[in-house]
Amino acid sequence: MNLLGIIFAAAMIVFSPVSVLPQDVKAPQFELKDLNGRIVRLSDYKGKVVLINFWATWCPPCRAEMPDLVRYQRQYRKQGLQIIGITYEPESKTRLRRFARSLKVNYPIVLGSPQIKARFSSEETLPLTVVINRDGKVSDVIVGILLHEEFDEKIKPLLMKNVEGG
Amino acid sequence: MRNRIISLVVSSVMVMTLGVITAAAFTKTATIKVEGMKCAKCSSSVAKALKATEGVEDVQVSSEKGEAVIKYDDQKLTEAKLREVINGTGFKAVAEPGQ
Repeated sequence: MNLLGIIFAAAMIVFSPVSVLPQDVKAPQFELKDLNGRIVRLSDYKGKVVLINFWATWCPPCRAEMPDLVRYQRQYRKQGLQIIGITYEPESKTRLRRFARSLKVNYPIVLGSPQIKARFSSEETLPLTVVINRDGKVSDVIVGILLHEEFDEKIKPLLMKNVEGG
Repeated sequence: MRNRIISLVVSSVMVMTLGVITAAAFTKTATIKVEGMKCAKCSSSVAKALKATEGVEDVQVSSEKGEAVIKYDDQKLTEAKLREVINGTGFKAVAEPGQ
């Protein structure tokens, strides 16, 4: 991206009422603790297609889409899909653990903050899913519940490409 | 020749009118009460899921009123299907008495 492109992208973020990271920009890195206190870094999943799912237990659509996320993680793990769920206070760890166990969540749930979410999007809607391609770049920001059609259209093609881009 | 043009125009108008009437006849409006839509942050998923449903022509969702007003093609969809879509977003479409 040339200098003019960077200035344009920055201006888009600053001046749009609801800003999301423009596509093809390196995803902001983070280092957060999961429910067991283990550190999870975005950089741990280099070369994978990562879905960062911002959610909360009090948000009905977030709860509704989680069984699908669990299924996608199981079905596409071998193709390099990695989901990371980020939630933040006032969630209690006990409630989160119980909730994750009841849904058999098979991907890390980490404790973040609204500031972490703001690095990706100023959109207040929940759930919000950031799609990161194998090059570590933001490929899409999906606002609201992740529909099956959106998974097929925006995420599956990324899983079909291997690390070398073939 | 003049008569032919007139009859062509008249039949075209009739066909167009019939088309408009038919389309209007297929469009229905449903107002569905939705339980649990207290946060505006998450109720946008209801509108998103409904808009993605084939046959839905327009959607207005109000978290204040707790309802969704949906214009849809009743040849492609039923109100029951609309309720199913709403329930799929984690909220609860309240059944009207007698449903």
